[in-house]
Amino acid sequence: MVITIDGKKCEFAAGQTVYQVAKANGIYIPVLCHHEQIKPVGACRVCVVEVEKARSLVASCAMPAEDGMVVQTNTPRVLSSRKLSVELLMTQGHHKCITCESSGDCVLQDLAYSLGVESPRFEEPAAYRELEQANEMIVRDMNKCVLCGLCVRACNEVQVNQVLDYTGRGPTAAVGPAFGLKYEDSDCVFCGECVRVCPVGALFEKQGRFQGRGDDLQKVRNTCAYCGVGCQLDVNIKDNRIVKITTPREGAPAPNYGSLCIKGRFGHDFVGHADRLTTPLIRVDGELKEATWDEAILYVAEKLNTIKKEHGSDAIAGLSSARCTNEENYLFQKFLRAVIGTNNVDHCARL
Amino acid sequence: MKVFRSHILVCGGTGCRASGSEGVHQAVVREIAAKELSNEVAVVETGCNGFCAAGPIMVIYPEGTFYQYVKADDVKEIIEEHIVKGRPVQRLMYKEPVTEAPIPHMLDIPFFGKQMLIALKNRGLIDAEKIDEYIARDGYMGAAKALTEMTPDEVIEEVKKSGLRGRGGGGFPTGLKWSFARKSQGDTKYILCNADEGDPGAFMDRSILEADPHAVIEGMIIGGYSIGATKGYIYCRAEYPLAIKRLLLAIEQAKDYGLLGQDILGSGYSLDIEVYQGAGAFVCGEETALMGSIEGKRGMPRPRPPFPAVKGLWDKPSVLNNVETYANIPQIVYKGGSWYSSIGTERSKGTKVFALTGAVNNVGLVEVPMGTPIGDIIFDIGGGITGGKQYKAAQLGGPSGGCIPAAALNTLTDYEEIVKLGAIMGSGGLIVMDEDTCMVDTARFFMEFCQEESCGKCTPCREGTNRMLQILQRICKGEGRDGDIELLEELASIIKDSALCGLGQTAPNPVLSTIRYFRDEYEAHIYDKKCPAAVCSALFKSPCQHACPIEMDVPAYIALIRAGRLEDAYRVMKKTNPFPGVCGRVCPQFCASKCRRGQLDDPMAIAWLKRYITDNGKKPATEPVPVTRKEKVAIIGAGPAGLTAAQDLAKRGYKVTVFEELPYAGGMMRYAIPEYRLPRDVIAEEVKDIEALGVEIKTNCRVGKDISFDALRKDYDIVVLAVGAHNSWKLGVEGEDLKGVWGATEFLREVNLGRDVKIGSQVAIVGGGNSAIDAARTAVRLGAKDVTILYRRERKDMPAWEHEIVAAEHEGVKIEYLVAPVKLVGKGGKLSGVVCQRMKLGEFDRSGRRKPFPIEGSEYTLSADTIIPAISQSADTTFIPEASDIKKDKWGGIEIPSRSKNKTTAESVFIIGDAATGPATVVEAIAMGHQVAADVDASIRVKNNEPAYKEPAEEKIDIPFEVDEEVVETPRAAMPELAAVDRAANFKEVELGYTREIAFKEACRCLRCDAEI
Repeated sequence: MVITIDGKKCEFAAGQTVYQVAKANGIYIPVLCHHEQIKPVGACRVCVVEVEKARSLVASCAMPAEDGMVVQTNTPRVLSSRKLSVELLMTQGHHKCITCESSGDCVLQDLAYSLGVESPRFEEPAAYRELEQANEMIVRDMNKCVLCGLCVRACNEVQVNQVLDYTGRGPTAAVGPAFGLKYEDSDCVFCGECVRVCPVGALFEKQGRFQGRGDDLQKVRNTCAYCGVGCQLDVNIKDNRIVKITTPREGAPAPNYGSLCIKGRFGHDFVGHADRLTTPLIRVDGELKEATWDEAILYVAEKLNTIKKEHGSDAIAGLSSARCTNEENYLFQKFLRAVIGTNNVDHCARL
Repeated sequence: MKVFRSHILVCGGTGCRASGSEGVHQAVVREIAAKELSNEVAVVETGCNGFCAAGPIMVIYPEGTFYQYVKADDVKEIIEEHIVKGRPVQRLMYKEPVTEAPIPHMLDIPFFGKQMLIALKNRGLIDAEKIDEYIARDGYMGAAKALTEMTPDEVIEEVKKSGLRGRGGGGFPTGLKWSFARKSQGDTKYILCNADEGDPGAFMDRSILEADPHAVIEGMIIGGYSIGATKGYIYCRAEYPLAIKRLLLAIEQAKDYGLLGQDILGSGYSLDIEVYQGAGAFVCGEETALMGSIEGKRGMPRPRPPFPAVKGLWDKPSVLNNVETYANIPQIVYKGGSWYSSIGTERSKGTKVFALTGAVNNVGLVEVPMGTPIGDIIFDIGGGITGGKQYKAAQLGGPSGGCIPAAALNTLTDYEEIVKLGAIMGSGGLIVMDEDTCMVDTARFFMEFCQEESCGKCTPCREGTNRMLQILQRICKGEGRDGDIELLEELASIIKDSALCGLGQTAPNPVLSTIRYFRDEYEAHIYDKKCPAAVCSALFKSPCQHACPIEMDVPAYIALIRAGRLEDAYRVMKKTNPFPGVCGRVCPQFCASKCRRGQLDDPMAIAWLKRYITDNGKKPATEPVPVTRKEKVAIIGAGPAGLTAAQDLAKRGYKVTVFEELPYAGGMMRYAIPEYRLPRDVIAEEVKDIEALGVEIKTNCRVGKDISFDALRKDYDIVVLAVGAHNSWKLGVEGEDLKGVWGATEFLREVNLGRDVKIGSQVAIVGGGNSAIDAARTAVRLGAKDVTILYRRERKDMPAWEHEIVAAEHEGVKIEYLVAPVKLVGKGGKLSGVVCQRMKLGEFDRSGRRKPFPIEGSEYTLSADTIIPAISQSADTTFIPEASDIKKDKWGGIEIPSRSKNKTTAESVFIIGDAATGPATVVEAIAMGHQVAADVDASIRVKNNEPAYKEPAEEKIDIPFEVDEEVVETPRAAMPELAAVDRAANFKEVELGYTREIAFKEACRCLRCDAEI
C-alpha cells in the first residue's frame, strides 16, 4: 500500500498513521501531544496536514494511512494553522523560558522557534498560578502546561496508575489528580512517568531544580541498582554529583522503555549521602569498626560455620533482597541449600 | 377500549407545566368527577402540544377546540359551558392578531394549520404514559413490519429510499450509516440514541420524548434490528427529568408487551434498551464524546477514523442517531420510504422540526416539510415579530450555526441551501432576533457558550474560542481595535479548519456569519464606539441617548421636567439640538424604540416631553458670536441640516451665509410638513436663534438663477449643499401627464407656500409613508370629499407612524391595502380614474418584508380627479452646471465618494441632508449638520496646519436623580388633541401638548437608565 506525502510515494503497512509513515520516510511533521508509546489522540493540532478530499485539516498522528491517500505537510494552509496553534499555546500561560528547567529541551520552544512565532498577538493571562512544590519529587508549574494530555495518558495507559485526568472545561480545563488534589494527597505513587513525557516545563524533578540543564549536565546511562528488573536510566551528573535521574522521553531501551518507579527515579540521594556506608563494619566490643571486604566475608563465613556446627543447618535462614538480580538470588538459594544445607530461604519481595 | 363522548386534552409538556398545567389538569379531573361526567368525558394529560407560548393549553375533542392560557380557575367555566351546555368559551380561544377574532378550532390557527406532522405525529394527542394510546395510533406497526416481514437489509434499503438524513445536525444519510454498521464484523453491536439536546433554544427532542417516547423506542428497535444490535442506550441529559421518567416507563411497558427484551414479537430478535443520564456537558452531544461518557469516561471526542460504525461504544460497531431521527423511522418503515421521500426538496426529504423561540409571537415547536421558506416559519407559523418590531436575523443551528438575515428569508429549509448562507440546519433551534438585538453581542453570547463548553482537549477550540471571546468582549466594551475583525476572521477560519471535533469546527460560525451579514455593526462598535441596537451598555449612558442621532441627553431633560426646572431642561436640549420645538412634534424618536421602559409597558413619550419643555419653558437667550476666522462658508438650503451646520460653524467663528430659494427658512420642515403638525411660528422661533448667532440667511435666492453656483464657489471657501429632496418620484405608469396628477412634495409645497390650491373632490394618494399621510390629511383640509390612500402592502408594513395613520382615518381618509396603480385614465386631458391592480404578498424582499405581486385580472378603476404619488423624493441638482467637478451619480444625484458621508468629488464642496441620503428625518439632518460643521472646520484647519478645534467647556447643569421606589405598570400618557370635527377643515395644530400634570406624570415613568449605581 502506498500513500503520497509531499509528492513522495511512501509504502506503508496496515495500522500505520500518516505521521509514522512520514517519519519513516524522512518527512518532518512536528508533533507535540504525540508520544510513540502512547495512543494518539490528535489533541494539540500541531501535526495537522492537508489530505486530499478531506473537508478540514487532519491530525497526522491519529490518521491511519490509507492506500492512495495524498498528503501535503507544508502548504500555507497547514503552516498558518500550525503557527496559530503554537501562538495560542505560547500565550495560554506563562512560559518563562529564562528560568525554565526544560529550556533547550522543550517541544514548544522548538516549535515556536522553527515556525518563527516571534511575537504572539495575544496577551498572557493576568493570573499567575502558584507552583505546586510541597513534595520532594515533582514540581508542577501549571503556568506552563499546554494541556497536551500526555501526563494523563502516560499515567493511565503506560503505568496504569489512573491518578491523572482532565478536570474542568474550556478555559478552566486542567490536568491533575481528582478533585484538584495535590500529587502527595492523591493516589499518586510518584513513578514520575508524567514528568518524563511532559513536552514542556510544566512537570519537572524537584531535585534537579536550578542545578543545570541541557549540556550543563553529563548523562550517564546506568542500570538501576534497586531491583532485579534492570531498568535503564540516565544519571545526570554535574561536578561529579548526581543531580537527577532521567529516562529518555522517547526511544528508551528495554526492559523499562523509559518507565521507572519512585525509587529508581527519585531515590538517588543516598549515593552522595554522608551517612552512606562505604566499607563493611564489624562490631568489636560493642563498637562498629571499619573492615576490609576480606575481613568481613571471612568473619561471616566463620560465624555461619560455627552456628551450623553447633546448632545444625536449620538454625540458619536466608532472606535475600529485591535489590539483587535474578542470578544473585539464584546463587543465594543455591548457597543456602547446597552449602549451608537448609531450605530456610526466602525473599523480601514475598513478605 | 371505552368510548367517551368527549376528550379533554391538557398539555403536560415541560413548557405548559412550567406555566401551571398540572393544576389545570387536577382541576379538570376534580370538576369532571364532581359533575359525575367521568363515564362520558375522558381527561388526558398529553405531551407537549407545541404552541408553548400559549400554555397552559387545553384541547377539547371531538370539536378540536383550542383554549390557551388556561388557569385552574377557568376550568369550572369550561366544563360548565363547553362540556355541559355545549357553548365553547370564546374568551379563552386563540385570537387572530389583527382582527382579534377568536379562532375556535386548533387547525384553523395559522400556527398549526401550516405544519406537517411526522416526528411530532402524536404530540398533544395521546397520553405519553400509556402504551395503548401509542399503539392505537399505529404504534409499533413499523417495528412489527420490520421484524416479521422484512430482512435487515430490506429495512436499510427502505430507510435509504426515504432519503432521511440525521436530524441532529450533521445531516448524514441515516440508511447509509446503518448499512456501514451492518457490514461491520462483530457479535456485539450497539444502537444508540442521542438525547443530549443542549443547543440554546432547541427543545424538540425533549418534547418528542415527553410526548411520544415509544416512537423513539420503536425507531431504535428497527435500527437495532437492521444493524444487528442487541443492546441500546438512550443518552439523555439529566436536566430532562420528565423525559427520563416517561422513557423509563415506556421501556417498562414495551417490555411487558413483548416489544422489547428477548425474542421481540416472536421474531427471534432481542434488544435491551437502557437510559444513560448525561451530566450536562454540551460536548457529550458529539458522538465519540457521548460514547466515551457511556463508557464511564470523561466525555471527550476521539479522532475519527475509526468511525463508530466500525469502532464505537467499547470499540464495538455502533450507530448513533438523535431523537428526532428515530421518531421518523417507524412511519418510514410502516408507510414506505417512497412516501417519505415524496415530501421535501431534491436532497432534503421529509419534514424538520424547529424550535421557534426568541422575538417571535408564537414561540413553540413546529414541524414543516423540508423546502418551506424560513420566512414562512417565522412570519406565518410564528406570527411575526413581537411588539411589531423589525426582524433582524434568526440564529439557526444554535452556537454551531449562523444567522439568517432579512435578505435571506426566502431560503428554503434544505441542508445545502442553509449551509450556503453560512448557517447549518443543526438540530433546528431557530432563535428569532429583532432590531433590538446587537449582533456583536449575539456572537459574543454564543462564543461564550462554546468557549465554556469546549472540552479542553484540542488547542484551537480551547484556546482559540477563548481568544475570540476576549476580542468580542473587548469590542462590546468599546475597546475594539482596528484589525479586530480581521483577527476574528483569521482565528475563525483556522479553528474551523483545524479543531478536533464538530464543536470546535463549528464554534466560530456565529462570529463568521454575523461578520458576513452585519459587519457594519462590528465597525460601529470598533470605530464609532456605537452599539446600533443599544445593547452593549458599556458604550453608553442610556439607550435613548445612544439611539439618538444627535445623542440628546434624554434622561437629563426628563429628570429636569420632574424637578420642575424647565429652563435648565431647555438648555440641556439646546446643547445638541437647535430644533427641539420641531423635534418635539415630528421626531420619529429612535430613542423611544430603544427605551427600556418599553420592555415593561410603553416607551417614554420623549418627543412630547421635549415639546412640553419648548411650549412652557423659557428659551435660553442666544448671544451673537464674533467672526474670528477668515474663511467664509456658503450653505445652500435653509433646512434643518443646513441651518445646523450654519449654527455650528458660526459658533466656531466662521462667517456663514445660507442661500434659500423659498420665502422662508425651514426647508422640508417648512414646506413638506403640514402646518397642523408643525406650526410655522415654532420653526421661525428656532431659526431666529441661529440668525442671532450672526448667520445670514438669504431667502428668495435660488442658486443657479439669482446667483450662479460658480460665482458662489469663488466667493466662499467652502460650499455646503443642503438642498433637500423636493422632487417627487413619478409612478412610472401611463397617463402621468394628465391634469390632476401632483407629486406629494410639490403639492405640499404649494399649500405651504400659502397659495390657493384647488384640489379635486376624489383624491387618490399613492404610498405608505408619512408624506402620503400628510398629503391625504392636507387634501381633506382643502375640502376633498373622498381621499383614498393606495398602498401596495399591508398596514403593518406602512412606514408611516401608527398614530398618524389613525389620525388620518379619524379624519375620513380611506386606506386600501394591497393595491397599486397601473394606469391613469382621463377625459379631455384631465384625470378621471386610476386603474388599480390588487396585489398579493409573495416572497420576502431584502428588507425582510414580503414583496407584493400583482394578481392578474384583478384590475379595477378607482374614480379620481386627483392623484398624488407619495412614493419617494429626490434632490433637484439642476443648479450645478453640467461641466462641474462635482460628479453626479447615475440617478442624477450627487456622487458621494465611498467611505464618506458628506463629501462630494470637489474638495471644497460638501453635501448633507435629504440631498445626500434621500428622504430622511429632521433629527438625522441635524446630525449631518453637526458632522459637516466639524468636518469643514477640520478640513480648513488641516489645510492651514492649525491645531484641531477645541470645544469650549460645557455649561454644567446639575441633573437631579429621583426615581420611584416601586415601578408600577403605567401606559404612556396620551396626547390631548383636537377632535376630528374641529380640525378637518383647518390647519390648526392637532396635538395640543401636554399639561404640567401630564408631563410630570409622564416624566416620572423614566427608569433613569443613565444612573451610575
